[in-house]
Parts: sequence; C-alpha cells; structure tokens
Amino acid sequence: MIRRYLRQKLNNVGVVVALGGLALLAAIQLAVSGGEAGFEVGTLAVFILAAACVSKDASSGGLQMILCRPIRRSSYLMGRYVGILAGYGVFLLIAAGLCIMASQALPLIGASPQPLQPLALARGALASMLVAMAMAAPILMFSTFLPGYGDALGYILLTPLLALPSVAAQVLKAPAIEKVGTFLRQNLLPNPDWQAVLSGRNPLGEPTGRWLFAVVGYLVLAVVFFSRREFAYGQD
Amino acid sequence: MISVQNLSKTYGRFGRRTRALDAVSLEVRQGETLGLIGPNGAGKTTLLSCLLGFLRPDSGFVRIAGRSVDDLWVRARSGYMPERLGFDRDLSGAAFLAFHWRLTGGDPGQTEARVASAADRVGLERPSLFKKLRTYSRGMLQRIGVAQATLGDPDLLFLDEPASGTDPLGVAVVRERILEAKARGATIVLNSHQLSEVERVCDRVVFIDRGRLVRDETLRGEAASRRRSSVRVPPEKAEEAARVLAEAGLAAEIAGGGMLRLPEGSEAQVAAAVKALALADVAVLEVRSSAELEEMFKEPRPS
Repeated sequence: MIRRYLRQKLNNVGVVVALGGLALLAAIQLAVSGGEAGFEVGTLAVFILAAACVSKDASSGGLQMILCRPIRRSSYLMGRYVGILAGYGVFLLIAAGLCIMASQALPLIGASPQPLQPLALARGALASMLVAMAMAAPILMFSTFLPGYGDALGYILLTPLLALPSVAAQVLKAPAIEKVGTFLRQNLLPNPDWQAVLSGRNPLGEPTGRWLFAVVGYLVLAVVFFSRREFAYGQD
Repeated sequence: MISVQNLSKTYGRFGRRTRALDAVSLEVRQGETLGLIGPNGAGKTTLLSCLLGFLRPDSGFVRIAGRSVDDLWVRARSGYMPERLGFDRDLSGAAFLAFHWRLTGGDPGQTEARVASAADRVGLERPSLFKKLRTYSRGMLQRIGVAQATLGDPDLLFLDEPASGTDPLGVAVVRERILEAKARGATIVLNSHQLSEVERVCDRVVFIDRGRLVRDETLRGEAASRRRSSVRVPPEKAEEAARVLAEAGLAAEIAGGGMLRLPEGSEAQVAAAVKALALADVAVLEVRSSAELEEMFKEPRPS
C-alpha cells in the first residue's frame, strides 16, 4: 500500500517537478543559514504529497477494487498516512543532501554561507517530520469524505475557521469566546516549538501532549469516517 | 451461501429520496450462478454494491456463508469485477495482476506464475501484459478485469457486465472463465444486459424492477421454468410440419421462416417433435431451446 501510494504520487511529472523545486529551495535556505533555517517550505511538500490521498482513489474506482480484497479499511488508511510520511522522509533526505552539496558549492561562487551544522540540520529535519505528521493527519481525515482536493482545502480553511472565535471575542468583547478559540487552536492545530523540544527542553510537556492528542484524534476520526463511508459505483 | 433478507436502500435526502432497493430477499446456493436482470436504474448495481459491502442497507441484511459481507474471511474468498476498470492506469497489466495477487494474500513466490496463468486464460498476450493499462482497449481492460477477479480461484465471484465492450472472441473468453469457475463449484453473481450470455451461464435469474425483485426464474435442472423450444424446417414445409406435430399431439405455432414454436420446452417434447417430423420425412434444420429471457425482460411480472 505504501509503495503504491508513492508510485501514484511520483508517477506525476508535475508533482516530481514541484517537490524537486521545493527541495532545492529548502536546501539553499538551509545551506545559507548553516542548517539553522529549518524546512519551512516543507509544509508545501506535505500538501502536495497528501492532497487527494483517498478521494482520488475513491473517484477512480480503484478503492472499491482494493476494499473487496481481504484488507481492512483502517489498514488502507494507515498505508496512505505512512505513504505520505515516507514520501516526505525522502523529500527531507533529498533536501538535506542538496543542502550539503550547496554548502560546498556556495563558497565557489563567492557566497559566504554559515558553516553547516549537521546536528542543526538533523534536528530541523526531525522537527519538520513531526510537523508533517500533524498536517497529514487532518488532511487524511478530510480526504475520507471530501471529494477531489477538498482535503487540502479543508485543512487550509481550518486556520481561519479557528481564528473566528478570536475575532468574535473582540467584536462581542467576550473573553470567554477568546478562551474557547485559544483552546481549539491549541488542540486542533497544535504547533509545539519542536526545535526547543528536540533540544531537550520539556520534551514531554503540554504542547507535545496536545500534538500527540491531535494526531491520534485525527487518525481515529479518519478511520471512523472511512469505516462508515459508502462507495457507489456505476449505474444500475 | 448468500442470503439477502428484506434489503432496502434509499438514496438522497430531504424530499429527493429514491428507493433503489425495496425489501429484496433472495438466496443463492453454493455453486449456483445467479444472473441479475432488469432495466437501467432498476437497482441491480445497488444490490451488487450491498453484496460487496460498498453500500450499507437502510434495513435488512446480507450474509455470506453466515458471515457479514465485511468479514475478511468472505473477502479472501471473493473476486469482483467492476463494469469499468478504474485502477492505476500507469501500472502495466502484469503489475496490476501482481498487486491483486498480493492483495488476495497469495504466496509471493507464485506471483509470476499466477500472473502469467491468469493472463493466458483470458487470452492476453505477453507483450500487451507489459504495457501500461492506459494503453489498453476497452476489450483488453475487460479481459484483465476478469483475470484479476478470478485470481486465486475465488469461491465467490461478483461480475458486473464482464463482457461489456468486448469483441465476440472476448465474450467467449469471459464466458469460458465463468463456466470454468462454475465447474469448480464457485458461487457467481452476474449482472449483465447480455441476455444470451446470461442464459448460457446462469442457473437462475432474478428480475429487478424499480428496486423490487419481481421475478425469479430457474433456467437449469429439474426445477427449470418456462423454457421455450422451436424447430426450424424448410419454410415451404412449415404448414405440413405443423400438421404432423398436431397429429402427434403437439400444437406448434408457426413463427415464420420455417420456425415452429412448441408449446412447452421440455426435452421430452422436443425429442417427440423431432421424431414425428423425421418419420413424416420433414427435414429438421435446427432445434432451439431457450428461456426467452428477452420476452421475460419485456414482461418481467409473472403471468
């Protein structure tokens, strides 16, 4: 299932070109900063890898052919999730490799990048993978019931949606609503300071717990929605 | 083997509701080949989807060998071919079959042999097996669809218009695979508009109309119902043949072109008719025996 997912994504020339471009961009940023910049552009790569992860299979009819085989729906979903993360892992490895090459090449063209710190590079890659895990889970959940690229759109809309309580709190001058908004944002879109956590500062603190809760919660919801979903095919 | 009890399914919400299945009940015995027949929109595909667990009925239930349709035991013994093969078109035919062989839980060491054997059985030549599915014609897709459905010799086969879009040779290949599965005791549910093919392979047909099961006809065996038989004689001898048959106690109806329809379709009656005509020196050019599904299709409610 994981191999199939990677093959489906990487057989698309547009996806490969986009991921290659993003890896190059990330590599240059990292090389210039000596590995301290992190993999910020990686979030776009997660979008590319995760978008339409289930919906495309459902609309093509391929999913029905898989689900009539002795495969649990949850196994199929986990295959998609791990496939996204495996794809992103490859992206990070390529970006890191390009970064190492760029840090050697940049001085040759007269640039003076910061000396590359391998530990910072590794920490940045790991932090980026943890961010990807939290992004891919809700996109996968949305993909179990939204058609086409609705999953990626759903994730994008989640941020302004969760900002609404704060706006409402300001307009209505109701601090209680603000608290609800903060609670929702912290728990539904957790954003721990992974650089700090991975440096050993409070690794098992509240932010890490919220991240874990959100990832597990989205995956459980994805399985629940997907298990109940109906798949029609053809015409009577 | 398959038990469907009071199955109902409605599509849509809030006023625009369509009842696709209305209290459908039927039993399919182990080793039986059942044909689903009915006009477009009758509910056949909905029924097939419920049997495969793609759709959840509003009420009623489906049990296969006493188990839920979602049971992995059932799925491990099932093969399914959709009307249109919508799978990764970038895969080669061989990779597609290998993927499905692995999904069935088949021995990975046998993948190559099983793929080659499945392709041979549907007449897919080696060079085309290594081409991408997107280059396949409709007929080739149907053939490889049948090959994947029959991989691992499943005990249950669900086929949705398996010969649709194929040439006569393809139709024959599909028929042979169905008959082969039938010969080894597989239980088969076939949804098809090709009535002649349904008649050739099915033991029983059910007619579905507006979500209701309106007719259940046995086509083979002792319980076979309403088969019609005809004999064809030289057209100029039709009148004489009708008279000979009437004298033999068989009131045949002249249908034109030298064809005479016998009132019943039993083998004994056909034999009696042929004997009477031979003794009267009337050449019998052809004997036809069919369930006349087309007539039943036009008039699905039992008379």
